[in-house]
Amino acid sequence: MIELKEIKKEYHGASGSIHALKGIDLGVKAGEIYGIIGKSGAGKSTLIRCINMLEKPSSGNVVVDGEDITLLSERQLRETRKKIGMIFQHFNLISSRTVYDNVAFPLELAGKSKQEIEAEVLPLLELVGLSDRMNRYPAELSGGQKQRVAIARALANHPKVLLCDEATSALDPQTTRSILELLKDINRKFQLTIVLITHEMQVIKEICDRVAVIEGGLIIEQGAVVEVFTRPQSATTRDFIRTIAGYDLPAIYSGCSFSPVPLENSSLMLRLTFLGRSAEEPVISEIIRKFNMDVNLLFGNLDTIQDTPFGTLLVELSGDQAAIKSALNYLQARKVENEVLGYVVRTHSITG
Amino acid sequence: MSYELIVLLAESFLETVHMVAVSAFIAAVAGIPLGVILVTTGKGHIMENKKLNIILGSIVNATRSTPFIILMVAIIPLTRLIVGTSIGTNAAIVPLSIAAVPFLGRIVESAIREVDYGVIEAAQAMGASPVQIIYKVLIPEALSSIVLGITITLVSLIGFSAMAGAIGGGGLGDLAIRYGYQRFRPDVMLATVIILIVTVQFVQSCGDYLARRLSKRY
Repeated sequence: MIELKEIKKEYHGASGSIHALKGIDLGVKAGEIYGIIGKSGAGKSTLIRCINMLEKPSSGNVVVDGEDITLLSERQLRETRKKIGMIFQHFNLISSRTVYDNVAFPLELAGKSKQEIEAEVLPLLELVGLSDRMNRYPAELSGGQKQRVAIARALANHPKVLLCDEATSALDPQTTRSILELLKDINRKFQLTIVLITHEMQVIKEICDRVAVIEGGLIIEQGAVVEVFTRPQSATTRDFIRTIAGYDLPAIYSGCSFSPVPLENSSLMLRLTFLGRSAEEPVISEIIRKFNMDVNLLFGNLDTIQDTPFGTLLVELSGDQAAIKSALNYLQARKVENEVLGYVVRTHSITG
Repeated sequence: MSYELIVLLAESFLETVHMVAVSAFIAAVAGIPLGVILVTTGKGHIMENKKLNIILGSIVNATRSTPFIILMVAIIPLTRLIVGTSIGTNAAIVPLSIAAVPFLGRIVESAIREVDYGVIEAAQAMGASPVQIIYKVLIPEALSSIVLGITITLVSLIGFSAMAGAIGGGGLGDLAIRYGYQRFRPDVMLATVIILIVTVQFVQSCGDYLARRLSKRY
C-alpha cells in the first residue's frame, strides 16, 4: 500500500545542512497497522509527513496505492491527499467550526452537497461516539473527544490510508487506550491501512502489527512487533522495551561486574524470554530437577502482545559449573530464548 | 447653545460619520486581503512569494511611518485625480483610506498569523488549495480578531478625521478647531469632545460585543 524508497530529507539552515532522513526504505502492507517508534529528533515526524508530502523529501520515492506521489503536480497531489487521512498530536481542529462542521470540512473541500455531507457525517459521528456533541465547538471538548472528531474528519473522504502523527502523545493513559481501540476498530472495519508514529512503546504493543525503530534518520530495526519485542537487536529498541517491560537488573546487582567466563563460585545470570506456547512449559522446574541446581528468580514480567503471551524472567543459576553449562545447553535445545548476561560472584549474600 | 450651533454640530457629526464610514469600508475591502497576502506570501507559508512580500511590506511601512497630516497634503495630486478636487469631505476620504488600509492590513496580518499553523497543515493534508485555506480556515479562524482590528481602525479614523479640516474636509474635529479654539467657544469645544467620546465608546462596545460573539475559543 505504501512504499518508501531511499527517502532522504535535508534542511538547509544558517548553521549548515541537517540530514533529517538519511535513506529510508519502508513497505507498509494494505490493512496493517504499522508503527514507527523513535526518540524525539529521530526523524519520525518528518518521515510520516513525507507520506502525504506535507514534507517534500529531498530525494527518493513515495508510492501510495501504486502511485508515485513525488511526481505529482500540486493539483494532482491535492486530489491524492483526499485519499490519505491524517490525525495529529494537537488535533488541529478548526476552532470556529462545530464538531459537525469540522467533520464536514473535507467533504466541503471535495464539493459535496449538503445532503451528501449529512449522509456521511452523521454515521461518522456515530462511529466515534460523538453524535450528542455535534453542535459543540472544539473548545468545549476534552482531548480525547477532540481526537475522535479529528479521526471522524480524517475518515470522511473514505481514505485508504490513515497517518497518525503522535496521535495519543497529548492524551492521558486511559484516553490513549480508548483512542487506540477506536483506531483498531476502524482498521478492522474498513481494512484501513494505518501508519502511526509514536515515542511510546505501549502504543506499538497495543495495536501495531509491525514496527520500525528509527534513530538518527535511519531505520535501525524493523519487523513484526512480537519479533522485535522478543529479540531486540539494538540498544535503542531495548531502551524502548524497557519502558514497559522490566528489563533492568535489580538494583542490588548494579555494582556487580559480569564475567563472560565462569569464575570460581560464580553463578550464571540469564534473561529468559517466553513467547506463545513456550510460556506454558515448565522449563524452570525441569532444570532444577534435571541438573540438581538452584534457580533464583530475580525478576519476572508477563504480558501479551497482539494476543500472544510474552514473558521475561531474570534468573540466577547456581550449582557446579558443569551443571550450569548443561542447563544452558538444555534451554537452548528447548528453544527457550535466552540472553546470557554473564557470571557473577556473590560477594555478599543477596536477600529479598 | 443656539439652534444654529446644534445644526452645525449635527452637520459636522454626519460629515465625520461619512468620512469614517467610507474610508473604513475601503480599508476593510483592501486591508483584509492585504493582511492575508502579507502572511501567506511569507517564508514557508501557503503562497510563499518573497518579492511580493518584501514589496508590500515596504509600502505598508512607508505609509504607516508618514504622519497623517503630511500624508494628506503630500497626496493632494492623487486626491485631485480621484475625486476631482483637493478640498472637501470627499477629498478627505482619499488620504483617510490610504492611511487606514495599511493600518488595518498590519492588524489583520497579526490576526491571521495567530491561526495555529497545525490547522493549516491539517487542511493541506485534506487536500485544500491555498484559496480554500484562506476562505475556509484563515479568515473564519481569525474573524473575531479581524473584527477587533476593524474596530481599532474605526476609532483611529475618527481621530484622523479631525485633521481633515486642514483640507476643508469638515467634521467634528474641524468644528472644534474653528469654533471652539479660533472663536473662543469652550461650549462648542466641549460639545464636540463629548460627541466624539460617546461615538468612540459606542463603536468600541459594538466591536467588542461582535468579536466576543464570534470567538469560539474560550
